[in-house]
Amino acid sequence: MRKIHLMNEAQRDASIAMESIPEAPSPKMGVPGKTIAFHRYLAATEAGLHATLLATHGDDLAQALVDGDPEIDLEQVGRLIGDTTPVYLSADGGVLHVSPQLVDVLIGPDGTERDRKPAGDTPANINELDPVRVAGKKIAKSEAIARFAFRRTVAIRHVDGLTYDFLHAMAKQLADEGVLAMLGAGAKGREPLVFQENGTPYRGFLEGRVDGPRYQLLLHLSNLELRVPT
Amino acid sequence: MAKSIVVTIGGIESSFALEKLDRAKLYGRRERRPLDPEGRRCERAELTRDGALLVRSGMTAQGYFDGDGAWIPNRDLVGLDRDGTPLPQVPSTLGVAQPLEGPIPPEDVLDLAVRTVYVLAPEQIDPALAAQLQAGAAFRFAFNYRADYQAETAVLVANDAGVFALVGRPTPPPWASIDLPAPASFDTTEDQDELDFEMF
Repeated sequence: MRKIHLMNEAQRDASIAMESIPEAPSPKMGVPGKTIAFHRYLAATEAGLHATLLATHGDDLAQALVDGDPEIDLEQVGRLIGDTTPVYLSADGGVLHVSPQLVDVLIGPDGTERDRKPAGDTPANINELDPVRVAGKKIAKSEAIARFAFRRTVAIRHVDGLTYDFLHAMAKQLADEGVLAMLGAGAKGREPLVFQENGTPYRGFLEGRVDGPRYQLLLHLSNLELRVPT
Repeated sequence: MAKSIVVTIGGIESSFALEKLDRAKLYGRRERRPLDPEGRRCERAELTRDGALLVRSGMTAQGYFDGDGAWIPNRDLVGLDRDGTPLPQVPSTLGVAQPLEGPIPPEDVLDLAVRTVYVLAPEQIDPALAAQLQAGAAFRFAFNYRADYQAETAVLVANDAGVFALVGRPTPPPWASIDLPAPASFDTTEDQDELDFEMF
């Protein structure tokens, strides 16, 4: 359970809870009556990688593969790989003993590089001093489902009686209006929602449903418009 | 090329060619690249815990093994339910007419946990269906890209830009009530993992 700092249209705010909505589990793959386990294993050593083989055998690589198994190290291949530690290799292939510089490269839809800049951290913004708020724009549900792909939904939950009243009223208002309210983060409430540091920014759309004293206040998340690529 | 999505309503078939839609195709993408001190691109690798093996990209594979360490070929694997009983295989729906259900309420579409989005190019479309889609109606049909052990649900929607299929699994949300407040504890690691939005 995580917190979200939420403000309603009357500019009343509260720190409340949110939780993901669990999906039914996918079928497990297996063999009937047999206990099996999933493992990662070594399939090739460095000497068996294509680039190394090509450097070693040159144009004779195809024949070498026909004549023998130069890509397989019988002593190593098949070894199970457990926990590992990440390391970086320099362009020369040596282990880097300092942290690498990180750059963000922006690549356009056509595959060309558009921009390059030093990597920066994007902080989470859903439980900060500035609450996530209704950004002012509301959209009919029927329009929203044809404009955005909602990849995930989180349920907003009360934590006590006061926040129950707060959320039930929000859900009822949205249900009565039949709309989704766009939510924004940041001081002006215009930024996309970022749930964890360097996480994917999402546009948030709040939906309310009410059934007597029960309510559903659902935050639908989208980072994809329904458009045709040009 | 994949077979078409074929749907039927009122006894009239419509078919659509499909192409997967993702963010990179619409907006491009961001790549975070590590550079060495000379500004050249680095490669991320792994070192085994005993330090004996440097694992580079392309050196590993993964698979299922039995208790004796014998590899199980993928063709021997089947879907199992919670009790370990084999599940029937669900055939691909591509190229096979699927009945459309609807129009369905927007809430049903919002309850779909969308995993894949396809842009659909109509090959043959029932004019009545086209008109309903353009008017904002949504229709549901069974979808399974390839034969496996779990069918998915697709929703057909349209806007001024085109026709789309949203594919996912219905995930109805739970109701909240006054006697069921959320747990007061917010700081468990397990719950933080539950909301890893980078997993999308």
